[in-house]
Amino acid sequence: MSNLLRQSLNGAPPPPRPRPLPLSSSALSDLDEHSSSDSSTSSVDSSASVNTLRPSSREQSAPPGHWTNYFSQELYLDQEDERQKARYHVYLTPPTDVQKGPLFICHHGAGASGLSFAVFAKHICQRLPGAGILSLEARAHGSTVTDIETGNQITDFSLATLTSDALAMITLTQHHLSWPTLPPSILIGHSLGGAIATQLAVDYALGHALLGYTVIDVVEGSALEALAHMKTYLSSRPTTFNTVDEAITWHTRTRTIRHAESAHVSVPSLLIQQPTSGGKFTWRTDLAATSPWWEEWFHGMSAKFLAGRGAKELILAGTDRLDRELMIGQMQGKFQLVVIPEAGHFVQEDVPERVAGLLVEFFKRNDRSALVLPPKVSELLARGEKV
Amino acid sequence: MSDLDKAIAQLRACRPIPEIQVRELCYKARELLIEEGNVVTVDAPVTICGDIHGQFHDLMELFRVGGDVPDTNYLFMGDFVDRGFYSLESFLLLLCLKVRYPDRITLIRGNHESRQITTVYGFYDECLRKYGSANVWRYCCEVFDYLALGALVIGAATELEPTDAPFADPSHATTVSEGDEVEVELLNSAGHIVTRHVRDRYIGQSSQLSNPPSSPSQTREQTPSRNGAPGTGATGSSHGSSGNGGGAVLCVHGGLSPLIDSIDKIRLLDRKQEVPHEGAMCDLLWSDPDEIEGWGLSPRGAGFLFGADIVKCFNHKNDLSLICRAHQLVMEGFKEMFQNTIVTVWSAPNYCYRCGNIAAILELGEDGSNAGYAPRSNGDVERSHGASNGVLTERMDKLKGPGRRYRVFEAAPQDSRGMPAKKPVADYFL
Repeated sequence: MSNLLRQSLNGAPPPPRPRPLPLSSSALSDLDEHSSSDSSTSSVDSSASVNTLRPSSREQSAPPGHWTNYFSQELYLDQEDERQKARYHVYLTPPTDVQKGPLFICHHGAGASGLSFAVFAKHICQRLPGAGILSLEARAHGSTVTDIETGNQITDFSLATLTSDALAMITLTQHHLSWPTLPPSILIGHSLGGAIATQLAVDYALGHALLGYTVIDVVEGSALEALAHMKTYLSSRPTTFNTVDEAITWHTRTRTIRHAESAHVSVPSLLIQQPTSGGKFTWRTDLAATSPWWEEWFHGMSAKFLAGRGAKELILAGTDRLDRELMIGQMQGKFQLVVIPEAGHFVQEDVPERVAGLLVEFFKRNDRSALVLPPKVSELLARGEKV
Repeated sequence: MSDLDKAIAQLRACRPIPEIQVRELCYKARELLIEEGNVVTVDAPVTICGDIHGQFHDLMELFRVGGDVPDTNYLFMGDFVDRGFYSLESFLLLLCLKVRYPDRITLIRGNHESRQITTVYGFYDECLRKYGSANVWRYCCEVFDYLALGALVIGAATELEPTDAPFADPSHATTVSEGDEVEVELLNSAGHIVTRHVRDRYIGQSSQLSNPPSSPSQTREQTPSRNGAPGTGATGSSHGSSGNGGGAVLCVHGGLSPLIDSIDKIRLLDRKQEVPHEGAMCDLLWSDPDEIEGWGLSPRGAGFLFGADIVKCFNHKNDLSLICRAHQLVMEGFKEMFQNTIVTVWSAPNYCYRCGNIAAILELGEDGSNAGYAPRSNGDVERSHGASNGVLTERMDKLKGPGRRYRVFEAAPQDSRGMPAKKPVADYFL
């Protein structure tokens, strides 16, 4: 990050909502333009390249690390019923051809954000031009769900609720873009997102559109085992940062995120500036508040992972931490396992290019339109061929 | 005592041999393996073993149950390394035995015998930990490239000489009457008979037959037996040295490939390379049989799934009576599929020290080994239990399968020496 930007960051006014990046005034106006157009999506250009810096109508382009470098639009999707009012937030690069897809639907882990998949998204689009990416944000992670009467945020992080949020975001996006059907899709979930993706797959929530699902670095057995350490870990994290840059440095220095570009794009979205405590930055998501549901998120996940319809891929960081169920499943050839020793927990941020490569391969392998298998023996016989 | 015998003794004690010796061993092994074809011919009797995965103490248990080298002729179907804590000792011991007794042990390649896979699943780290450098790993990987891709067992008897041992559970005891052919026996690690199955003699009827659980059997009498050189697809009736009623047994780590319709095509591959990501060589090491028709996409991300029609067609074309493969964990140690045309053998008990499965090895007897055997005649054969096999009609002739003796065993008491400290738990996973 340039010194200029760093200076401007320190003096930036508190953003209206948790912004991906606090911006200088000139960049902010640029951003305003994007967000306004994005919310309406009237001027959505689905063919816009996200590989290159988005040219601005002004002279100044979006600063590095800004979401517009990675997704073509962000959407605010409203949904209201008699109990609650939801304002979902997603990042999107639509596929060029809705019939053909593919659409990679990503769900981040607890405490992360939709921009956890930003650099990954860039590499997907480079490798597979025309592919779409939809990165969802869970409630209290960018989306907000409030009680219709009190107006307070609803504290419900049960797997069922988060899964129905995710499905709502997918469906609303589809309606918003007037897609007749969901494009052929691949679900990708990191950590908690993996549990949600698995649940969506088991529920057959996306129906025939789902080609397969990929879970990144979460396994029921080892996750449940590690629960005890989780609170210690959370309490050892700094609670405030003086600047966004300090938070980025913390993430890279502790090797929580091992890729500079990823940290620059995702970390700002994890923070919120407190007007009260001298403009310091705190974590946007109160992870401790989600703790009553931790066990529930992962309970039974291995069985569900194996039971879901569609192709299955598990990407793990470091040494593999398969539990008994998945170890048996893997050795019986029921899913594809990829271990990336050089990555930490945020695999898609640590090695975005590698993960994008894996997902493109995963899609190509399971792309029904392109799939040609050798003929069946009975077909050969029917054709009178000698076998 | 030669250096090689010393090395064997040291490795049997689960102690690694010095790097310089590994280098020499690997060099000798390569010289030996380069002479082998892609498909090694192995004469019965032979004991066929599946995945080992560095479970050294269980390999010792396997030798205890199956007999020691060179007394027993062994065929290991790959996946010697990775996941277990003693990949190095296990593989080097097998390699030493190969160099010492080349005709008594056959090693073929598994999908884990690859640079890419071993880097991720433990063998590389283990070499680094035990030697402080990757040299030994590199020597071993060079050997991997020379391992054969398959083996063809010829001269296997179609019936077993009944094991003269008590039944583990006397209530299951079956006796053999005159003229009965013992097709399958299942023995526990104490050498006691668990089940015995006699080959059905009511052949040719397309009635539904019930079978013991371990081995659904429905074979058809072989009309004039068609015995060219087995596995070559030759149709001549040159009753060769292996002129029994059965066909040959193909052993391969994974399974079949849509690019391979004859064993000769395997012979034409250039195997001396890292396992490719796709193609025939990859498929042989990665594919799995499945209850489908034709070919299917493998969920593993490499290789294919193949159905009963593919196996029957392949066996018919190549004069095979059985395909024997490993690669898939089977909780019971072995699993016969598709009317006994293919079997999975798994030899790593309690896989990865947590799966709770038992292991098996498969013994194929030598043809004629039952000469002079006088069967006792008392009582009928018990065939009342077991699930029935749904497929009734069989289009193609099926060769009489070899008599199969499975020995199952459990994990050896684990010696915790040398086990790495408990894996660090993830500190962040949300």
